[in-house]
Amino acid sequence: MASISKLNRHQARTAYVFITPTILLFLIFTVIPVVMAFYFSFTNYDVVKNRDWVNFDNYKRLFHDDLYWTTFKNVAYYTVIFVPLNILLSLGIAMLLNFRRFGVRLFRTMNYMPTLTSAVAAATVWVWLLHPEYGLVNTLLGYIGVTGPAWLAQTETAMLSIILVTLWQSIGSNMIIYIAGLQGVPDYLYESAKLDGANALQRFRYITWPQLRPTTFLVSTMSIIGALQLFDQAFVLTQGGPGNVTKTPVYLIYQQGFNQLQMGYASAQAFVLALAILIFSLINMRVNKSEESVV
Amino acid sequence: MKKWISLVAIASISTAALAGCSGGSSGNDQTSPSSSASASPSASKPSGKPVELTFWGDWSGEGQKQFETMVDAFNKSQDHIKVKYVLQQDMITKFLTAATSGGSPDILFWDRWRTSLYAPKNVLHPLDEFLAKDSISKDDFYGEAVKELTYKDQLYGLPLTVDARALFYNKKLLADAGVTAPPSNWQELEDAAVKTTKWNGSKLQVAGFSLGDAGLFNMYLQQAGGTMLTDDGKTNFNNDKGKAVLDYWDRLLNQDKVYKIGFEQGLGESTDAFATGKLAMTYNGPWMLTTYKKYGKDLDFGVVPPPAGPNGDKGSVMGGFGLVIPEGSKHQQEAWEFIKWWTANKDNALLWAKTSLNIPGFKPAIEDPFFQDDPFWKPFLETLEIAKIRPTHPGYSVLEGDALIPNVQLFQQGKQSAEDTLKKAQQQGDKLLQDNAVAE
Repeated sequence: MASISKLNRHQARTAYVFITPTILLFLIFTVIPVVMAFYFSFTNYDVVKNRDWVNFDNYKRLFHDDLYWTTFKNVAYYTVIFVPLNILLSLGIAMLLNFRRFGVRLFRTMNYMPTLTSAVAAATVWVWLLHPEYGLVNTLLGYIGVTGPAWLAQTETAMLSIILVTLWQSIGSNMIIYIAGLQGVPDYLYESAKLDGANALQRFRYITWPQLRPTTFLVSTMSIIGALQLFDQAFVLTQGGPGNVTKTPVYLIYQQGFNQLQMGYASAQAFVLALAILIFSLINMRVNKSEESVV
Repeated sequence: MKKWISLVAIASISTAALAGCSGGSSGNDQTSPSSSASASPSASKPSGKPVELTFWGDWSGEGQKQFETMVDAFNKSQDHIKVKYVLQQDMITKFLTAATSGGSPDILFWDRWRTSLYAPKNVLHPLDEFLAKDSISKDDFYGEAVKELTYKDQLYGLPLTVDARALFYNKKLLADAGVTAPPSNWQELEDAAVKTTKWNGSKLQVAGFSLGDAGLFNMYLQQAGGTMLTDDGKTNFNNDKGKAVLDYWDRLLNQDKVYKIGFEQGLGESTDAFATGKLAMTYNGPWMLTTYKKYGKDLDFGVVPPPAGPNGDKGSVMGGFGLVIPEGSKHQQEAWEFIKWWTANKDNALLWAKTSLNIPGFKPAIEDPFFQDDPFWKPFLETLEIAKIRPTHPGYSVLEGDALIPNVQLFQQGKQSAEDTLKKAQQQGDKLLQDNAVAE
């Protein structure tokens, strides 16, 4: 017994040594800044001069900041459409490409390519593709007699265009995760289901989908977080316009903090955003009933 | 147990999201470091070793070469100061950190409108004493530009460049449509735009006049005889003048149909609508001259000052850059020598102008034939005579970007009436101005 506990102690020590660098970095670059940001959110911190305690002033101002809530509405709309579509499409493509057949790898690579391009560069190209008169999208629509809208300049289509472009870019990596998940589903489950006479739909409903629950949880959580922090694509594609319909909280946080030197207020905005992300993630967890099947 | 793990995981992910927003905050909150025992006369001048100055700017490529030309010329002109240009892509953010934790540059290339935001924070060094000592007159510079660099009667920099938008027109497109002279007022502009516009079914082939930038509202408002803000810092466009601008835009866009929303969006330099003959007239600044001249014979264009409004009022918005000295600089006297050499000397300002093709802020330099005899520079010089800077309220850019432009865009797309647009822009704008007023 004594030797076992000695071994355990030794292992524990080694483990701590191994995780120390990561924990230290995490402390320095994540925990401490977060604590400081929390403190700043109660001050009028402006980076260069002031840092006086102002109690809840920033949060009170936030409460009456219509624009901030507009941006929340914008990303909420974005998230509600983007996340389900993202899961649906990545899973669909993953299932299509989950075979060992000649040429499949080529298609996987092609689907993955958009993920490799830089967000800003891809968005710039999309601005071109979506141009009302000379863009490829409207030219193609023109062949079937449809006059396409000014995708990025009209209030009705601006956010949809951003959803389209970000989907195009994020499906690739989620597809890879789903393919990995699909390959982890044991074959004998399908075999026995077939023996019992289950059709393809039933096999998906009762085997594939439940088995993929941890994967779906991962994909949906990451997309929710990414969606609520939408910034670069929206900024390049529409600069927040037209009529504020594509402005996002992160855009405002940056503007208040770095352009207007109101870092205290920006910190308060960032905290409310983090809270929103937490709430959305918890809802997501409930929806996925992930407690039982994660890990 | 597992529930806890995922909860912790989520919590840590969302805190990681926050961490990005609070970087670079080392705890130095005292106003200005003690190093600003400033303006000490450089007693140790002829000790052999030159004083080294750091000059920060965010111009790269061609702009960097232009800066370096000036810096080299200055370094050769004397032997006790040596300036080095350092490119900082994210200059303002870097400056914020440098201003509080040391490592401040000695000279900063400065987008002038930021002055009202930064001067109250004591991070810029006032120049009035230097000016007085070297008997340099503010009147030699464009008054509006000097005003933009002034806060509470103290001057914080000298203007390096000035610019303003004027009307570019495609001579061939106008002549083909039977327009003999470029427009000089709103009515003529509308007529010319209607004549030059060409539709092919639902496709716009040639737009008569660009209405792509709702941010030019300020300019049109001046032409209608209005101002953006009142003297006590409130919005001042919810009135007849503002209505006149919106009605004019509505007529051009939705009745005359001389433009289509989104027409120019995403067209880069190589496919610029004006350069490729898809746009007959547009407001643009002197910075586009070089680009358009490259097209040579393919683009026969002219420039005239902005057409006057219904009551003959003229207007354009002046922008441009200056040079400032941070409070954290250890060599403010030497930095001043450099700024003075560059901006307040006719020959050097002219060298700068010819190198960079910018209009210098120093008026004696524009008397030169290089500007006066050039048909492209001349209209810009005339425009600069009437151009006004943006209001110096620190919340102005937010008012424009978050309250005015979004509402105007909704109006342009027929989502709200002119009255509602002006009223909403006023209400939201006044609140933003108040929220973003300066906190000293």
